[in-house]
Amino acid sequence: MHISLKQNIKKDKNAQVGLIIIIILLLFAVIAPFFTSDPQAFSKLILSEPGTGHYLGTNDLGQDIFSRLLYGLRTSMFVSISVGILATSISVFVGVCSGFIGGIFDTVVMRIIDAFLVMPTIIILILVSAFVKPNILSLVVMISLLHWQGGARIIRGQTLSLRERIHIYSARTFGAKKFYILARHIIPDLGNIIIVSFIQNARSAVFIEAGMAFIGVSSLTAISLGNIMHNAFKFYYLPVWLWWLLPAGILLSLILLSFTFLGNLMEKIIDPRLSNA
Amino acid sequence: MKKKYLSYIIAFLIIITLNFIVPRLLPGDPLNAIYGDEVLLKLSAETREYISSTYNLDKPILTQYLLYVTSIFKGNLGYSIYYKKPVIDLLLSYIPYTIILMGLAISISTLLAIVLGIESGWRRGKKLDKFILFLVIFSSSFPSFFIGACFLIVFGVLLNILPFQGARTMYSGLGSFGLSVDFLLHLILPLFSLVFVFLPSSYLLTRNSMISNLKEPYILLARAKGLKDTRIRYKHAGRNSLIPVATQTGLSLGTMIITGTIFIEIVFSYPGMGSLIYNSILNRDYPVIQGSFLFVAVLVLVINFLMDLFYVKLDPRIEYAY
Repeated sequence: MHISLKQNIKKDKNAQVGLIIIIILLLFAVIAPFFTSDPQAFSKLILSEPGTGHYLGTNDLGQDIFSRLLYGLRTSMFVSISVGILATSISVFVGVCSGFIGGIFDTVVMRIIDAFLVMPTIIILILVSAFVKPNILSLVVMISLLHWQGGARIIRGQTLSLRERIHIYSARTFGAKKFYILARHIIPDLGNIIIVSFIQNARSAVFIEAGMAFIGVSSLTAISLGNIMHNAFKFYYLPVWLWWLLPAGILLSLILLSFTFLGNLMEKIIDPRLSNA
Repeated sequence: MKKKYLSYIIAFLIIITLNFIVPRLLPGDPLNAIYGDEVLLKLSAETREYISSTYNLDKPILTQYLLYVTSIFKGNLGYSIYYKKPVIDLLLSYIPYTIILMGLAISISTLLAIVLGIESGWRRGKKLDKFILFLVIFSSSFPSFFIGACFLIVFGVLLNILPFQGARTMYSGLGSFGLSVDFLLHLILPLFSLVFVFLPSSYLLTRNSMISNLKEPYILLARAKGLKDTRIRYKHAGRNSLIPVATQTGLSLGTMIITGTIFIEIVFSYPGMGSLIYNSILNRDYPVIQGSFLFVAVLVLVINFLMDLFYVKLDPRIEYAY
């Protein structure tokens, strides 16, 4: 699987757009504190229209919507990247172990993976958070614990096929230890699949976090795009949705769209048959 | 298939156990979870003991678990604090709306997706195909609640042509014909938002499998026979492109579709399972949250299971994939 990512990105316009959007959004998320006012600061100026001082006006509590948007973006980005890393690490660990050890262990793990695949994860998340009232970190952990199964399944399949390949056999004849083979030969060869499952997990984490915040079961202290949309939606009968609900929704959709583009590119790289379609 | 049964049993056990454990994970008394923080302050010691024994909270944890599981199988899901009704009755009164909304949305979106997908795949690379493809990929990134909110504001508020809250006009005093028209009018906006949410995945699948099917030799043969284009498109290539769509719809029915329906129902205050869950979270009606969670989760499992059985019949190759 020696495929140059760079070359593939060069060929795919959508993926370029996705990558550029993600990088810009990440940049904004990182530098947000330097050019926004305090997103939690109240003022007497409520539901004001966009204008100087407040680029997107203020909400019902007199807070600056633009600052809140950027802080919501920060939350989304933080959740997506951390869930991406955590869930994918679990997938890699479970998938590689299961594929490499095999036998009864593999059968048991596969049944558990299948069980997780048929469960409605978002509904479980809603139940647990309705009781536990998570903060952002525990939310990340919860989402990750429920989103490793898809990646683990693919990674296990790939590990099964990799471990029968000739270079693994030859490494073994040279006396390589199991751990060495895993770390130096199998996991590096899983590179693209790991990126795919990272992107998919990151994407669904953004959606789930926003959706939970929209229902009101996400972290109560963090500013989230879903939460902003939920508050804005209460005032659907006023024209405020134009600069309150819409920007938040578009920002959220932009994140999801760019992850979709990147995900499509990675899927094409893994499965070249798709690139004809 | 036997292995599959086992996964479903594991999933069922995980769900039941979660439903049992999560309220008990909270710091403090389990009564907190049942009645919320405020009520507990007002309870005297005797009342507390009385409640503990009625809810079997004074028994060892394993006995509690067994009692819980048996009561579920008896259909006892607890008693709603807010609505003052058994949870199971509440669920049964809310579920028909969800089924109507979801069923219609799936049927319309799948039909539309198949037709669009076949036409789009047939015209691959042409303007129309590129246009539809772009539109679908673009719209697939909109989260369901955003789509719902936009539809509501544009059609309900700005254009003011359709009702956008609830399932019927309250206190309208309409006759039975008027009522059904009213019901249908209220259904339109949530229904079309949902169709919009469901469309992309089936469309993309139909288009992809249409494209790969068009390369098969039997299409060449059909052309050589001099069959009309529409016949080849729908009878030959189109029909064979349906297998992955059926599989996918079945598999996503549980998770994606129920999730989408819940969000759309919340946006339009449509009185289905979604609104029930949402309102019980707002009202801290914990027994209802638990009961509806269990109900929806088991429903998803059952649908997934039936679909697993069904699509092996539809495409026997799947059996060998395991």
